[in-house]
Amino acid sequence: MLENPIFFYIASAIIIFFTIISLINKNIINSLLAAVMVFFCGALFFYLLGSEYNAIIQAAVYGVAVPVIIGLSIMFSGNVSCKNSTETENKREFKLSYFTLLSGGIFVLALVYVIMISVSILPDTFCIKEIAQTTSYDVISAFAKGIFIDYVWAFELLSLLLTIVIAGFTLFNRRRDS
Amino acid sequence: MMNNITMYHYLFIGLFMFLTGFFGSVFAKNIIKVLISIEFMLLGININFVTFGTYCDGLDFEGYIMSLFYIGIGAVEFAVALYLFYLMFQKKDSDNIQKYTDL
Repeated sequence: MLENPIFFYIASAIIIFFTIISLINKNIINSLLAAVMVFFCGALFFYLLGSEYNAIIQAAVYGVAVPVIIGLSIMFSGNVSCKNSTETENKREFKLSYFTLLSGGIFVLALVYVIMISVSILPDTFCIKEIAQTTSYDVISAFAKGIFIDYVWAFELLSLLLTIVIAGFTLFNRRRDS
Repeated sequence: MMNNITMYHYLFIGLFMFLTGFFGSVFAKNIIKVLISIEFMLLGININFVTFGTYCDGLDFEGYIMSLFYIGIGAVEFAVALYLFYLMFQKKDSDNIQKYTDL
């Protein structure tokens, strides 16, 4: 776990900036690139929290695989909607910007609160246990216990779900081709 | 002064991601942007899971495992949603969500 708080603040600034850019930007390609940055920052947060395995999965699935699928979707859709901008759509864009800024404002207020807690102006009312001093071995063994013993049926169900999705796509595409 | 990063810091990042994702999914007009916003919501939830897993779970790390399941289910949901979008786009010839009133 990276102990230096500067990493947290830099990652927070990047994730807030690119989230807002991703939602406000009208160009869908720029929006997608900003979303990729957000997903990688999410992986960085997982790493900062000590979950390296989740960070790798997040970076591989959401940082690489999902943006490729979205890119393909943008390619075949050809950005048709950009040609037909009406007044109603502009109003929706305005509402989106407004509510994104509103949620940003809520976040800033919340951040002020946690900074005040950090400097002990406010009492730390929500009692949390001490962070367990763990090693990578502990995390991996906890994953193994969770996936293969405690949640083995959920894990098998998820595997089945992924298999059904892949088989379903293949069948649908074959039927459409024929 | 601000050397201690507490649980609240991570929770509020998760809250921010969830709120922006929620407003984006409600108000965005482009269906791809709506899907990206839903992924932001999932990321916020995952950050909360991992935060609670780190700070409150001791050595069980159940939050990490739940986050892992959520990433898998999120990827499946995203693939299915994009396939539906692909099918609908062929009929509607638009990625404007206001035209997607029927499935």
